Amino acid sequence: MEKGFGEKKYMVELSEREVEDLRNSVKATSLKLMDEYIERMKKTWPNRPKIMEYFDEVAKFFGTREKEILKAKEEGRKVIGYTCMFAPIELILAADAIPVRVSSGIYDTTKLGNRIVPVEVCPVVRSTIGVGMIGFSPHLEVSDALITPLTCDGMAKLSEILSDRKPVWTVCPPRLKDSEQSMRFWREELQSVKAKIEKLTGTKITAKKLKTAIETMHRATRAFRRLQELRRGAPVIMGRDAMLVNQTSAWDDIERWTKKTEELCSELEKRRQEKILACAPDTPRIMIAGSPALWPDNWKLPNLIEEANPQGVIVADEFCSGDRFLFDPVGVDEWTMDDMFNAVAERYLLPSTCPCFTSEDGNVDRVNWLKARIEERRVDGVVYHVFRGCMLYAMEYTRIKKALDKINVPVYYLDTDYTREDVGQIKTRVEAFLEMLKSRVEF
Amino acid sequence: MWLEILSEILKLTVFAGLALAGALAILIWKRDLKTKVSYLRFFVQAAAMAALFLLFSYTNELLYVLIVIILLTLFLGRLFCGWLCPLGLYLDLMAVFRKALKIRYWNLPDKLNKLLNKLRYLLLAFFVALPFVLEKIEPWQWSLAKFLMGPFKPVSVLLGPVEPLIIPWESRLKFYGLNLSYPYASVIAFYSGESFALANMFLFIALTLASSFVVRRFWCRFCPTGVSFAVLNRFRGFRWIPLLRLNKVEEKCPKCGICKRVCPVQVLDVYERKGGDIAPSMCMLCLRCVEMCPYEECLKLNMAGRTLFKSRNWLEPSKIE
Ligand code: SF4
Ligand code: SF4
Ligand code: SF4
Ligand code: SF4
Repeated sequence: MEKGFGEKKYMVELSEREVEDLRNSVKATSLKLMDEYIERMKKTWPNRPKIMEYFDEVAKFFGTREKEILKAKEEGRKVIGYTCMFAPIELILAADAIPVRVSSGIYDTTKLGNRIVPVEVCPVVRSTIGVGMIGFSPHLEVSDALITPLTCDGMAKLSEILSDRKPVWTVCPPRLKDSEQSMRFWREELQSVKAKIEKLTGTKITAKKLKTAIETMHRATRAFRRLQELRRGAPVIMGRDAMLVNQTSAWDDIERWTKKTEELCSELEKRRQEKILACAPDTPRIMIAGSPALWPDNWKLPNLIEEANPQGVIVADEFCSGDRFLFDPVGVDEWTMDDMFNAVAERYLLPSTCPCFTSEDGNVDRVNWLKARIEERRVDGVVYHVFRGCMLYAMEYTRIKKALDKINVPVYYLDTDYTREDVGQIKTRVEAFLEMLKSRVEF
Repeated sequence: MWLEILSEILKLTVFAGLALAGALAILIWKRDLKTKVSYLRFFVQAAAMAALFLLFSYTNELLYVLIVIILLTLFLGRLFCGWLCPLGLYLDLMAVFRKALKIRYWNLPDKLNKLLNKLRYLLLAFFVALPFVLEKIEPWQWSLAKFLMGPFKPVSVLLGPVEPLIIPWESRLKFYGLNLSYPYASVIAFYSGESFALANMFLFIALTLASSFVVRRFWCRFCPTGVSFAVLNRFRGFRWIPLLRLNKVEEKCPKCGICKRVCPVQVLDVYERKGGDIAPSMCMLCLRCVEMCPYEECLKLNMAGRTLFKSRNWLEPSKIE
């Protein structure tokens, strides 16, 4: 067994009854909430394509997808969870394991997390801890091991805390990505994860298998990019729906997801030609940047923007759970094992614009990334979303704001927590911002 | 008599081959294979070799050939190295063999690569200056000077890599009556003397090929011809001349590092520099980086303001299909 795994270093003792009760109550709210959010998405987008129902189905936790994963597990396949997008999905797929993202977007479990860590900690971390405590998340529960990238402080400690329940394999992305020694270090990190994946699954990752996995992910990236392309012109898809499709890729069967996304894109392209729009063409075009908003509970902000009056449409997000997740392909030069592995390693480190990076020039890649997306998607305004406790995104705000001021794009700073209580208050503020954008657009 | 007929037939075949290669190149461009530039480049390289053969069959004045290449380079940058040089073709073919055997290349340490880059200028200066120095000291009386002077005339050194596989004049390497050659072969033969000529030639061939089997385009890292082209375009006073430029748009580049890894001569500037006109003198405009960059319109090959080729989302098939 893994070192440290199973020992209760952090977890508080809960009686089985208590766990059972908590599970049931959280589950009831979550299921209700997911249904409600999907209904609301359907309402905002009246001519929502039928194919979206597939993604609704996958998005429902404790539904068909969970059963499917459990069945695959019975047949001997392993499930490898990850907390953040630095985990090399290609390596997981090459070992014939199932990758799932485990970081949680469920509000109710943050309260449980508060018993272990203080409330000042990022709510994603607290919620994931809470989910771990009562074995609630379908994805965390089914995982045989977790890949936990040590990015921000929250993620680093989350990894420790989760090791009470699951074997965790840490990988440490270097803070400075742009040097030869960083790259060497990162490659070593991934080599050791690769060895662990091979040991767990009992499958050797051969060149052939890795190539197949890379090609599978190429197809997924292709579909993923196609969808983001469609968010460029007049809106043919609502932002929330695009975000839902993006997020489901983190736990769906990736090949089926690719197929369905391509179908959705074909449908949308047809609509583009027939000029069937999802909302009025002069709807203010919003980008959400900052801390990742995770399905299901964290649909709060997207909901607010797209249901507000005046309405906004999210044409881009900067989330590692969203637009950034599958955007970069692994660029293989020569299909040898070494080059493929290097290409995979580079793909996860170098193009990432996560705020955990810095350089002598600061996180300049992130600024450039934002500016490029703003230009190509013709963004009217940026909502800068920060969780209370998320230091990195909060601290980078000033720089982003300055950069965006220069190109005359309004930014609105919105800090929030995993709670439903501030909805009313945020609503007024978001609507004021949209009102302002609307008048600018008309002007 | 029959030899002349044969040579005429040969020239015609080369002409036909050229036309065929051109047609194929256009076809490939249209089909838009993911790595279309890399394929296209092989055709152009082969066609260029044939063209050089023809050129040499009609003129013996190597100097003119050099002038043509220099003019070409003055305006098009080191395009010659990436797309036309016969030695470059052999080196690239070695890489193809290596890939077929699934063996990974070695990268030179960046420091060494940079050192070799600088060394090029020294080598060039040496070859260009030598004859002028030796002229003063009565070379034929001094055997060392003689041997330096004889083969290493700047023209023959600079044109070394340009010798095509089949040459229309007498050579040491013969194959069924055809005169074969290899870059620098005649220079080496001249310098080696009767008994060692062949051995030295083969040694040189083996060395250049083997080294670039291991390190991509190893010879090009210090080739004096390559650098003479680079000098033309990279001295400040000349910088406005080249029509072809490699451009990068800073904002579109999230520094994914692909361009750095795929460059056959380990150019770092495309990755490291922020934006604008980025190609350094080492870049031979092979366009591998432009072809592999996954961000749309991030890297561009511009000719006098017009974009000839640009990076794109290569996961998508092209729009032409
Ligand atoms: S913001 Fe960075 S550290 Fe946080 S989850 Fe995303 S990729 Fe990971
Ligand atoms: S550097 Fe020299 S050998 Fe290489 S392509 Fe250029 S001229 Fe040919
Ligand atoms: S391949 Fe393109 S996007 Fe990637 S670092 Fe190079 S120029 Fe930038
Ligand atoms: S920088 Fe690009 S164009 Fe220049 S030699 Fe390298 S790969 Fe070729």
